[in-house]
Amino acid sequence: MTSGAKSDKGPEDFPATRWSLVLKAGKNDTTRAQAALSSLCQTYWFPLYAHARRRRYNPHDAEDLTQEFFARLLERHALAWADPERGRFRSFLLAAMNNFLATEWEKARAQKRGAGRQVLSLDLAAAEERFDLEPADDATPDKAFDKQWALALLDEVLNKLESEYQREGKQVLFAALRPTLAGARESQPYAELSASLGMSQSAVKVAVHRLRRRCRDMVRQEIAHTVASPGEIDSEMRHLFAALAGS
Amino acid sequence: METIRLCPSCKKPLAPNAPKGLCPECLMKGAFPSQADPGASGPPPRWTPPALDQLQPHFPELEILELLGAGGMGAVYKALQKKLDRAVALKILPLETARDPAFAERFAREAKALARLNHPNIVAVYDFGQSGPYYYFIMEFVEGTNLRGLIQDKSLEPRQALELVIQICTALQFAHDERIVHRDIKPENILISKKGQVKIADFGLAKLMGPRPDSGLTASQMMMGTLNYMAPEQRENSKNVDHRADIYSLGVVFYEMLTGQVPMGRFDPPSKKVQVDVRLDEVVLRALEREPERRYQQASQIRSNVETIAGTAGKSEPKSPAAGNPRAPVIYAKKKTRSEFLGIGAVVSATGFALVLIPHWWPLGIILMLIGGRMSLVLVCSNCAKRITRDAELCPHCAARFQEAPGGM
Repeated sequence: MTSGAKSDKGPEDFPATRWSLVLKAGKNDTTRAQAALSSLCQTYWFPLYAHARRRRYNPHDAEDLTQEFFARLLERHALAWADPERGRFRSFLLAAMNNFLATEWEKARAQKRGAGRQVLSLDLAAAEERFDLEPADDATPDKAFDKQWALALLDEVLNKLESEYQREGKQVLFAALRPTLAGARESQPYAELSASLGMSQSAVKVAVHRLRRRCRDMVRQEIAHTVASPGEIDSEMRHLFAALAGS
Repeated sequence: METIRLCPSCKKPLAPNAPKGLCPECLMKGAFPSQADPGASGPPPRWTPPALDQLQPHFPELEILELLGAGGMGAVYKALQKKLDRAVALKILPLETARDPAFAERFAREAKALARLNHPNIVAVYDFGQSGPYYYFIMEFVEGTNLRGLIQDKSLEPRQALELVIQICTALQFAHDERIVHRDIKPENILISKKGQVKIADFGLAKLMGPRPDSGLTASQMMMGTLNYMAPEQRENSKNVDHRADIYSLGVVFYEMLTGQVPMGRFDPPSKKVQVDVRLDEVVLRALEREPERRYQQASQIRSNVETIAGTAGKSEPKSPAAGNPRAPVIYAKKKTRSEFLGIGAVVSATGFALVLIPHWWPLGIILMLIGGRMSLVLVCSNCAKRITRDAELCPHCAARFQEAPGGM
């Protein structure tokens, strides 16, 4: 998938990124669309859990309702959930979740007995621990959700990036250069890196440049998976950046 | 005690939920396509400021002396205007801005608007135009430092911060009355002359350079992380901001001047973080209101409030030798340690001099200089800023009457 290219192609020609696939499939839930949606939910479930907790559901309930929400979402015709803002997966998911909490959850809770459904393998045990790490924030729940979303996205990218380097046998390099992803020069002087990696300084520079470039591409790619068209990538990135900056 | 780790790049505290221990803002910033990779051996950075001898032929009337700084907004050089034998600042805009055909017209319009900003607290624009391939401004050269330097040095006392804010408000109100919004108020743009006078730079340049085509942010704002100072409505949609965005930015700067930190998330009011008058909390918080309607509507309102607080603060201080007449020039000299010298606003420049700000309204006429690294107490009349001898009763230059401090030397 090209990164950052301004395309004049319409949504139909947009290369198969996950959310665009799902939108295209619409009511016809193809296997591919299901897989795409599943994959998206797997990446972004924690912001939903955190959202439920922020809405003052206790950990046990938050666990249950997150699972139930995803179960319903991944059922056939889940996209029929009327939500006008379907351009981006992030907005869709938040709106769908709020809708679910407002209407369906109470009903489901009343009916539930015994174990709920589990369609995704979510590390919900660790979720509460992770939620505990959240700094206190007076942002509205929706803004907090966006910030959480951005963090989930970055986490995902870093994990994928690390796997990529591992596959190429470059895990040591990755570990050493990783801090440069958040600003090159200040965190790791090249002289130090050069010494510890046994590479010339210019080789270090090249490696850093490649890593940062690859990370940039992957961030854009990951964002692309959550929007409907390439034109939205930049605006979504700005939005996430603003969310991280605590606006 | 829990140590808080800081991001080595942006120096903000790292939250425990930071992805792999890396600052999420800096990570995301790195993903913007326009960000030039510092130190990369790949494609060259988008714009390098021209070398002095490259620039000189295009400005025969100037002698280009040195590059003062460069950023997304262009490069600034110190130059000598030969005819008038005065130092000026020459600002060159990045070449790529010149490729936009509509730019020339916008440039002229903006320069004319800036030329209306004739005010002691605003960096004056002397001339502008296009010379060779460069769009340029010739501006007042301000010898001194900028607010960023003072904040980083941690040498700002609350009283000075108030004095500076008063001057900033004066400048802003003047510009707003001329219907000009700065849009990029931040410590780097607030220069402070050796005499302690505030000079706000780069008025209108944010609008002139315009947002990048694929984002609502200017190159400088994205790269420099000035989103911190940007009003919420400006971050969302930079087209429809009014002068109240400057007021928000002023709030951020004010908070940072008092506490040393930028207000983030759920932040403590200044009086909880440092020893300042509790009434300042209200001023700062109101400037930082998210809704423009709830903020101060005029910079002059902030100024009056701060002046009131500053005025009454002086009276409640037990040691003020000028009690009763806050405007009387006095000699007030007391032995201080080096750090105390530096504590009242000395800025150590690269040559080792410590230049001290002279707040005009401050009743105490302490001017202290470190010359060549050695401390030397120099007494100066706080009225006319000229040197006086210790036992003078009247200033020989401006005839202001002095009174001794209680406790003497």
